[in-house]
Amino acid sequence: MKKTLTALLIALMMTPVLAFGAYPEKPITIIVPSNAGGSTDTTARLFIKSAKKFIPDADFVVKNVGGSGGQKGFEEIARAKPDGYTIGMIFTTQIVAHIVSKRADYTLDSFHIIGNMMQDPLIIAVPATSEIKTLDDFIAAAKAKELTVAVNGIGSDDFVAAKKFENHTGVTFNLLPTKGSTEQKAMILGGHIDASFMNVTQLHGQHKDGTARIIAILDDKRSDIIPDVPTAKELNVPVSMTATRGWVAPAGIDAEVAATLDKLVADVMSDKEFIEACEKDVMILHPMSGPDYKKYLVELQAETQKFYETTPW
Amino acid sequence: MIFESLQALLAPSSLLAVFIGTVSGVLVGGMPGLTATMAVALLIPVTFVLEPLTGLILMGGVYCGAMYGGSIPAILLRTPGTPAAVATAMEGYPMSRQGHGGLALKVSVIASFCGGVFSTFVLLMVAPILAIFALTFGPPEYFLLAILGLVGIVSMADDESSLVKALISGLLGLVIAVIGTDPISGQLRYTLGLTDLYDGVSFMPALIGMFSISQMLDLTSTKRIVTDTSTLQKIKREPFPKGLKKFVGLGSITGTVVGVLPGEGATIAAFLSYNFARQYSKKKHLFGHGNPEGIAAAESGNNGCVGGSLVPTLTLGIPGNSVAAALMGGLIIHGLIPGPELFSKYGVMTYAFILSLFLANIIFLFIGLTMAPYFARISLIPTPILIPVVCLFSLLGSYAMNNSILDIFVALICGIAAVILHRTGFSLGALILGLILGPIAESGFAQALIIGHGSYSIFFTRPQAIILWAIILVLLIPPIIQISRQSGRKKADVERQSDTSAE
Repeated sequence: MKKTLTALLIALMMTPVLAFGAYPEKPITIIVPSNAGGSTDTTARLFIKSAKKFIPDADFVVKNVGGSGGQKGFEEIARAKPDGYTIGMIFTTQIVAHIVSKRADYTLDSFHIIGNMMQDPLIIAVPATSEIKTLDDFIAAAKAKELTVAVNGIGSDDFVAAKKFENHTGVTFNLLPTKGSTEQKAMILGGHIDASFMNVTQLHGQHKDGTARIIAILDDKRSDIIPDVPTAKELNVPVSMTATRGWVAPAGIDAEVAATLDKLVADVMSDKEFIEACEKDVMILHPMSGPDYKKYLVELQAETQKFYETTPW
Repeated sequence: MIFESLQALLAPSSLLAVFIGTVSGVLVGGMPGLTATMAVALLIPVTFVLEPLTGLILMGGVYCGAMYGGSIPAILLRTPGTPAAVATAMEGYPMSRQGHGGLALKVSVIASFCGGVFSTFVLLMVAPILAIFALTFGPPEYFLLAILGLVGIVSMADDESSLVKALISGLLGLVIAVIGTDPISGQLRYTLGLTDLYDGVSFMPALIGMFSISQMLDLTSTKRIVTDTSTLQKIKREPFPKGLKKFVGLGSITGTVVGVLPGEGATIAAFLSYNFARQYSKKKHLFGHGNPEGIAAAESGNNGCVGGSLVPTLTLGIPGNSVAAALMGGLIIHGLIPGPELFSKYGVMTYAFILSLFLANIIFLFIGLTMAPYFARISLIPTPILIPVVCLFSLLGSYAMNNSILDIFVALICGIAAVILHRTGFSLGALILGLILGPIAESGFAQALIIGHGSYSIFFTRPQAIILWAIILVLLIPPIIQISRQSGRKKADVERQSDTSAE
């Protein structure tokens, strides 16, 4: 009995060595640096559904490593063995915010950047009952008195957007850090604050229902979701800011495996079913190749660094 | 429209979804460390392949089931399956030890059912009006709500733990709550450079340690949980305690109202209802020693949260708590954006979903009532088997919550600390109140001051704030009078004694 068991054990241990199959030959772990149910998590799961079409043998396991603004998850991806069996998602500005605040155990060079998938441009929203109807009203009101403006935590995309806006227009906000979009929404709908910087997918429903008003979108072009809202650029305030969600693998990954992964993400991005699902879920596709996304992240880091030096957190 | 919804609900696939959802919800809720939020979130990819209604019903069933399921291990093993079941553990477990575990389970399931049905009814009838009420709550009101909860510390003081000790415990909880990232400035506080502590000490592992592990350490000196086995034989015939209706009603209303407030969870709802019950009970002395009134209030409170939390979720797209947030994710993925359209254009589905919650409540009531006598037998398992198994599940649950090794140590440290605190007469309930409410009080206070541009008048000028102040005073004055009278009497006794000894 003991002998058979030992033999079985040895056989089991040998299998991976003997099998020389093509990548992937075991399940790929996807680290999602946020809790299950959020939009990053949903992106990963929609991705898996479509990815199986392109690599039918591949199995994917989602590992949610939420909390601390994604830092725990980002670190886990950076630390993982670069064998192609651990990949993960990143999101901005958090990925660079942790670097500039010197808290992160990683740098952008810790990752092989596969590419970007989604974006979520920032918007400026006011309560439905507010007298502020346009961006001009908003700037005038902010110049007349210090407006209370909610952002999602210090160092977040909302915060950077608000700081960029302040720098450009010369106004100063009474910034109110919150725990996230739920709190921001409740404060806007309840009229507890003057305005809020948040992402378009977080408030478009309320804008359409008339329970909140989006006065400008901080993007280069208008959004298909809310075509009635002008861009800040149109109104001569060239401030743009967006949140992105993309894919990375640990640095040092084998070139061939990296190429497979890069192609997989590109393939999924052009999959009709995936595009349809994203549209239904109001996710805004924003494809960027690995090198392009890397360039974007480096620039974002430099920009965030500037704000950190003036108002550290 | 309601008729069409009913038809949609009575389709075999929908009925099956309610059943599977509720049963698995009870199981998930019963496992420490697996929460309703997690279960609903994990179901989202499953719902990709289902009809939107079937998926929603499945998630709703899990939500209802898990809220009740958390109370089963809380009562039998003092291991809260979900954080919302902590107050239930404080009353239910002593009942189990006295051999009334089966009765405690029955009280819990009936109270859960009533709370759930009441809140679903509210969701069905007056959702839009309540949603408007929820929006009037801003940071100053959340601060006062947290204070309202902290007032409960005063009522946690009984003969075992004096007022001073209860206050110290509460303060200790508040101090532990300080660990983590400052909600306003983003600075790190006492995190020792550990990323796992950036979000503060995780709540669930701390609870598992303080309740479950400490209890298992305590049990090592006994043969089994039940001290008096003679009562166990009579489980089925045990008379149902009278006068619980008042507490179920109190819990249902408190749970629904707290549930409606965005961001406030079932844990706070359960604790608030528990404290209200503790204040208004005629059997105050029984609290902490197995009072079914406490179970009734706490369980109707946390299940009342279910319907309540869906009010702002469905009408405004503002999730009432983390489970509702996950459920909203499931809605959006099918292109169903919360708002008025959900009740008009997609009304058939929305109403079918709401009606399915009634069904889910009936299913867990049935499961709970039939299974109670069998579940109660868990307390007969000899401790040499029980302790290792419960400890294993407790540690597993602590880890599974955030996939964090540190959380295992949090649970162990809290377990040992809790044994020491309990033996020295410090109230664990008070500590937990501090731990839960500290962060809410802190961010509410700081945000209110920012909104008020630094002026404290914001806490006194808003009508909702004034009402909350009034409730706080109503809750605070009677115990203080009582305590000062008692200490006055004691002092007089001491003086008389010293007088006589002087003579």
